[in-house]
Amino acid sequence: LSSLKNLEPCLFAEEGSPVHGDVIEFHGPEGTGKTEMLYHLVARCIIPKSGGGLEVEVMFVDTDYHFDMLRLVTILEHRLVQSTEEMIKQCLGRLFLVNCNSSTQLLLTLYSLENMFCTHPSLCLLIVDSISAFYWIDRSNGGESLNLQEMNLKKCANFLEKLVREHHLALFATTQTIMQKSTSSAESFFPLKLQHEFDTDYRPYLCKSWQQMVTHRIFFSKQFNSGNSKGFTVVSCHLKKNNVVKRSFSVAECGVQF
Amino acid sequence: MVVLRAGLCPGLTEEMIQVLRANGVRTVVDFVSSDLEDVSQKCSLSYKALVAVRRVLLAQFSAFPANGADLYEELKSSTAILPTRSPSLDQLLDSGLYTGEVTELMGAPGSGKTQVCLSIAASVSLGLKQHVLFLDSTGGFTASRLYQMLQAQAEDEEEQLEALQRIQVARVFDVYEMLSALQEVRDRLSQQAVSCTGPLKTVLIDSVSAVIHPLLGGRQSEGLAIMMQLARELKMLAKEFSLAVVVTNQVTRDSSTGLLKPALGRSWSFVPSTRVLLESKGAPWEEVTTRRSASLAKSPRQVRLLPGQHLCDGEVTRTWPQSRGRFLMGLGRFRPHGGTQCSGRGTHAARLHATEEKSTCSLQLELVFIGKLNERHCLQSRSPCSSCSSRSRDAAEPAWTPAEVTLA
Repeated sequence: LSSLKNLEPCLFAEEGSPVHGDVIEFHGPEGTGKTEMLYHLVARCIIPKSGGGLEVEVMFVDTDYHFDMLRLVTILEHRLVQSTEEMIKQCLGRLFLVNCNSSTQLLLTLYSLENMFCTHPSLCLLIVDSISAFYWIDRSNGGESLNLQEMNLKKCANFLEKLVREHHLALFATTQTIMQKSTSSAESFFPLKLQHEFDTDYRPYLCKSWQQMVTHRIFFSKQFNSGNSKGFTVVSCHLKKNNVVKRSFSVAECGVQF
Repeated sequence: MVVLRAGLCPGLTEEMIQVLRANGVRTVVDFVSSDLEDVSQKCSLSYKALVAVRRVLLAQFSAFPANGADLYEELKSSTAILPTRSPSLDQLLDSGLYTGEVTELMGAPGSGKTQVCLSIAASVSLGLKQHVLFLDSTGGFTASRLYQMLQAQAEDEEEQLEALQRIQVARVFDVYEMLSALQEVRDRLSQQAVSCTGPLKTVLIDSVSAVIHPLLGGRQSEGLAIMMQLARELKMLAKEFSLAVVVTNQVTRDSSTGLLKPALGRSWSFVPSTRVLLESKGAPWEEVTTRRSASLAKSPRQVRLLPGQHLCDGEVTRTWPQSRGRFLMGLGRFRPHGGTQCSGRGTHAARLHATEEKSTCSLQLELVFIGKLNERHCLQSRSPCSSCSSRSRDAAEPAWTPAEVTLA
């Protein structure tokens, strides 16, 4: 069972994270680097150990046809010492991609992927980009009943939890900031003393089953002041231990750089 | 929610359905998520039979994972970059419109969005001899203006008429008409050969905000659901059939930062991969101006953009990834015929400005270097090697004009 602790230590408040069984949520508005960060993690995983990577397999579930293979290949080229076609394809052989059209198809796909996790022991990273993609469509289909609206995502969340637990995966999922920031302090996420320090545009809108299974929540935002040379910020929270850390990163041709 | 019915898959008989229904298993999701041992006992059905049915149902209704290496191979041969005939716009877009992506042109009314769309249609149809679908939801499409553009680019009347014939226009004035027009395109494309070398390569939608805006606002989420459904259709179309999808959108001003942002809200903002802002750039004393500027607001490739700034504000030097040499293999099929120095006849309705880019020699080399996947020596060196310089003389690539380009 390979360790994931060298995946990207800068993303986590705790040393030694992530571990198998962790569920990490990337949250942020458009253009804040969530997808770039995912490419960075994918590259870290699929590059062989000889190239400084973890040499593990990744399952990438793309729910809104967002995945840009060309961008990933560019990042790989910059990171591999020997960036030949052969090497690139060898790395890409460790990546599996699947597109889902609806929350129902997402659920059924997760069920059918279970077999893959059994037969690929080195498949230890599961990425869902994004898990909030069907939010409005599900809400409209569910009519007046919140229960019906959330039913599919709830089942997905429950099954994801089972997959993560039984197959020792780490799950990274992105959620988009599609709501206005909440002003009520009752919904505020941080302990009061940290609230002013870390200003995050967060309002939980996905079902409780999902909220409760997240172990780390990482908020992405863009920096607008010219003083900061690094364009993006992450605020990373370890939910169980209540640790929070803030770091900056920039995005270059070779991908994310802390 | 697919309901179980007899014949949905082999092994699923009417009796089974009845028994399952009596025990609360009505849909495919119910079946797949239930504990089959449990169901087998309660319904007195064979466990093996249930497992077999489950396997078939999953194969039928779930999505199949693809391996990254296979996907890469496929993309290499199906992705193409469509030059728009405006070198400055092409520079912003990183050589042109990429198939498989949704590109958004945003701007205030009168900023030139329809003109740019017409110009793209003309360039793809005439220059690349590919078919174009133009969905007009504002009534802004004028065939005479399009013809004018074609006349400026080609002398031969027959060529012009052929180009006109390759552009299909559909007038859609509400979102349902738009969705059904897109469905029709999908059906048509699915019926053709599986390979993505079908004749249609570009879909232009002018504009998407015109049909979506009336649905938004208020407390119901139906409008947002339909918008996301349309977004999904556009992206699927682009990805599955390797099309370049271009949409136009309005702009609004962000209350906190004061910057212009695309209309249709946060959920829509995630949809396009590339976003270009078009603005009218007249001097204060000019009442009517013909100058426009285009700036890049979002791109999956131009990653050196400083956040919060548009490409036209800051000086950005870009390094050109070597990998693009691979994808330009697709360009070989779509190389523009002749140069892009427009004749300049007729009135100039719009000009596009772009920042003066520092064009390094490797930039020129890469675009010339078509179909030569394995010859990396030129891509790596910054100074032209002798074979490249001779090749660049031979190829019919347009020279990079630094600033003003006529669209007409």
